[in-house]
Amino acid sequence: MSALVVPTHRRPPGIYRLARGLRWLSALVFVALLIFAATVGYSAFEVARSSPQSRGLTASFAPNGTIEIGGSFTLANPGYYPIQGLALTARISNETGVFLGEVGTGPTTIAPSATAVFPLALYLPVSTTGPSASLLTEDQYLGVDAWANATYAYLFPLSVALTENRSWGAPFEGFTVSVGTPSGGGGNITIPVTVAFRNDASFPTAGTLAFVIESALLTPCGGGSFTLGVPPGDSYDETENVALSPGCSPAGGHVSSTYSNGGTPVSLPPEGIP
Amino acid sequence: MSAPAATPSREVTGYRIPSLGYRIVIAALKLIPSFVLLILLPVAALTFLGAHGVSLPISTYAVEVWGIALIAVGTARYISKPTAAFGPLSIAASTVSFLYLYYALSLSPYRLVVPGGSASLVAGYSMFLELMMIVPAIGIVVGILVTVEDVRSPKERLPFDFPA
Repeated sequence: MSALVVPTHRRPPGIYRLARGLRWLSALVFVALLIFAATVGYSAFEVARSSPQSRGLTASFAPNGTIEIGGSFTLANPGYYPIQGLALTARISNETGVFLGEVGTGPTTIAPSATAVFPLALYLPVSTTGPSASLLTEDQYLGVDAWANATYAYLFPLSVALTENRSWGAPFEGFTVSVGTPSGGGGNITIPVTVAFRNDASFPTAGTLAFVIESALLTPCGGGSFTLGVPPGDSYDETENVALSPGCSPAGGHVSSTYSNGGTPVSLPPEGIP
Repeated sequence: MSAPAATPSREVTGYRIPSLGYRIVIAALKLIPSFVLLILLPVAALTFLGAHGVSLPISTYAVEVWGIALIAVGTARYISKPTAAFGPLSIAASTVSFLYLYYALSLSPYRLVVPGGSASLVAGYSMFLELMMIVPAIGIVVGILVTVEDVRSPKERLPFDFPA
């Protein structure tokens, strides 16, 4: 019986105290992790509620002969934990799936209660031979694949991917250069050249459109230029009489056009002459 | 004089052990919050999110099975606290918790595809679960210590677990 008569005021044995201490430690860790998880959940909800925004996305002809799509991406972090290693990447392809360009930013860290603004600038090369040629003359849907990687609250790696199609309005939609019937006689033969297109872009098509009429043997027969100032959504249809070089026949040749707005000229698709 | 029966008497000098019936009643009452926290709320959350097109990596079936296992072993552990089975059952309860977390860990990262497929989210939570696994790991160690203590000095802990 004596084994059961144990005074409760004596010091617990070491192994008991160790077990009790570990139990307390376990409870503390558990509570700390629960509080951490709850605050992370709340902070993540606040970040999601702040709605990352891409603002001021604009397109324009850049001086270096490319189309520039610029703007900024804003992400607020109103939570308690940092967003670390945030890297953004976006790839754009044309309607046929041809890769046009890529823009990226980061990696960077957004501190708690801070807002980060990432400037974005994507340059799409345009030429008559490159994959972006159709951007000049064809309205289409561009494929945008964007993704972001980051680590939230030190422990949670995140990856977000977004795929969408954005409509693209061509600045020279339906671009045509038609050559009429030569008129006149002797050494003073002229030929009417008509340029027509519609500006479906979000920016004005302003500048100069120069053209050259070439014979089937690639001999320049004449040329001219149009001054453009076409607001978004407007159509352009103008005719100009061009004096042909003596003895030069444009039949079977083509018209080459170059658009310039002060920077590097941008070539437009050539038009054949019947 | 021989030692008392394996189950300690209800009241002795230095400590007071609740009766088996009392412990069963208390364990049954503790089942209610355990059931709510381990099964009812998670299943309700999974069902709610599933109804809104958000599928989580763990199924309601898995939550129910693991929840029942945790509740069962936890209840047995509580009832057996005055006995030598308490240590092994503590190990068992912590092991089940550890395995539950390990199972959840195996489901990381979480992949969510927004209906329509235009956006997707991949979220890793393995590091957090690894930290969470510290808790049952300590519990296993505690269970081992209790088992060792019960083997070396039976009933030595009773005056401290059940002071009179």
